[in-house]
Amino acid sequence: MNLVSLAVRNVGRNRFRTSLTVLGVAVAVVAFVLLRTVISSMEVAVTHAAHDRIGIRHKVSFIMQLPRRYVDTVRQTPGVHSATWANWFGGKDPRNPREFFPTMAVDPPSFLDVYDEIAVSPADRERWFADRQGALVGDQLARLLHLRVGDTVTLAGTIYPGNWVFHVSGIYTTTRRSMDRSEFLFHWDYLNNAIPERRRDQVGWIIARVDNPRQATGVSAGIDRAFDVQDIQTLSMSERSMNLSFMGMMSGVLAAINVISGIILLILLMLFGNTMSMGVRERTQEYGVLRALGFLPKHIAGFILGEAAALGLTAGVLGLALSYPFVQYGLGRWLEENMGSMVPYFRIEVATAALALGFSLLLGVAAAVIPALRASRLTVTDALRRID
Amino acid sequence: MVQLTNVVKTFQRGAEVITVLDGLNVTIAEGSFEALMGPSGSGKSTLLNLVAGLDRATSGVVNVAGQDLTTMTDGDLAAFRARYIGFIFQSYNLMPVLTALENVELPLLLTKIPSADRKKRAATALRVVGLEDRANHYPRMLSGGQEQRVAIARAIVNDPKIIVADEPTGDLDRKSADQILALLEKLNKDFKKTIVMVTHDPEAASHARVTHHLNKGAFQ
Repeated sequence: MNLVSLAVRNVGRNRFRTSLTVLGVAVAVVAFVLLRTVISSMEVAVTHAAHDRIGIRHKVSFIMQLPRRYVDTVRQTPGVHSATWANWFGGKDPRNPREFFPTMAVDPPSFLDVYDEIAVSPADRERWFADRQGALVGDQLARLLHLRVGDTVTLAGTIYPGNWVFHVSGIYTTTRRSMDRSEFLFHWDYLNNAIPERRRDQVGWIIARVDNPRQATGVSAGIDRAFDVQDIQTLSMSERSMNLSFMGMMSGVLAAINVISGIILLILLMLFGNTMSMGVRERTQEYGVLRALGFLPKHIAGFILGEAAALGLTAGVLGLALSYPFVQYGLGRWLEENMGSMVPYFRIEVATAALALGFSLLLGVAAAVIPALRASRLTVTDALRRID
Repeated sequence: MVQLTNVVKTFQRGAEVITVLDGLNVTIAEGSFEALMGPSGSGKSTLLNLVAGLDRATSGVVNVAGQDLTTMTDGDLAAFRARYIGFIFQSYNLMPVLTALENVELPLLLTKIPSADRKKRAATALRVVGLEDRANHYPRMLSGGQEQRVAIARAIVNDPKIIVADEPTGDLDRKSADQILALLEKLNKDFKKTIVMVTHDPEAASHARVTHHLNKGAFQ
């Protein structure tokens, strides 16, 4: 036994109350972890954005298109390793009208060159390149829509009206998290040749890989300069910045989540504060005995804060123990498989777990500061209630 | 050993000043066993608190074991209590989360004695009070008399010069009370401990060598 273990032993003093507090805080920790994971899952595209890719879009708006010939200019810009392009197709599967997934018309060879984290078997790659109606489908989307290689799938175009028939040429996975695994990619030529002539040879955006990620900013500026004298100017930015601009559209949601997280922390503080205040009040006489035996006010404060820290740590660990299986094997997996286009990665980050544990510990201690100060300031005789 | 000279103790309750001890003089010799008796509010527990260094006199001099308690800081008083005083309370006041052995070991946590030696000393103290076979029992597993004996072991584990006991038999039946009083006598006679005991019980006081009767803050 030592002074620290003495503080920790007090956690088990009132087991029923302690259990309820620990459970209550643990549930709050689960809620906190869930909310933070929502935020981190939104940030994953930013966090894991490729450092060597830049996006080039119409200077006015993302929804306005660029001439196809701009791709050649981008490829000739110093510092650019390779470039590709894509058009947002906005296709829907009439069999699964509620499912949202990205459908994009791309140039297969250059797209796979720029997005080298896409893992596709040589046979699937060859099949896709060879078939103008071929589509490469992310494995999560394939699972969701029950698609297999060789299947024929008809999508209804929203931006490009009509029924579009595709053949599933291959299924891809990814080697990094920078690429969504629920996309439907098909030949840009197929789209371009099928639409009215006035809409042809337009691309939604251009993606370039640069030779040196450190020079990405300079290369972006160089690309934009090259188009300054053209009718249509461009806005180039790193993939990370581009993803951030998407996230900016959801800033209200993120702010709301942060507010709710703050409320949960406040609940945590009150739960701890209530338990510690009751415990300290009930044990005032014991603190008097300890003081009589020669323990100092700092010891009493230390016992109370130590007990609160142990309580906070226990609740935090329990909360994480509940959160992990729930998120990693339950909710997270379900979201990734069923809503992969919106939530491609929903797992508890180490930083989130550390934050939850840290807050649990810190708030436990913070809630005990006032009870600890009050207890340590009592005179021995007051604590013993022995004024005769 | 204990010398109180012209000690006054007052308490402020709102605007009212209550004088609990009024110019008290008392001397308790080393190795003595003295009882303090008196009605509630007579000042006996206040006197005990002053002797034990739990409280401070409003005026006068409190000298215990050669130390002038009236000039000590709070920290010095705590160190004084840890070194010179053993406490026995009416309601035992054991820590429910600690075993009997750990309760006895508690005062030794303030010393630099190694853990193994602390345990040995605590076990020895438990043997003195006849509870070595209850070392790993928690207070809830012990009878009132046994709890008080554990409290006595805790009071002597530091080998203090003085033991102050506040109604040590107040919560006990006659048989257990007699055992506790016999134990206190043993500590006084065999271990030469100076004992100052507050009691309402004349039977308990009869075990002491000297009995002081307090009334309204003065000896009768």
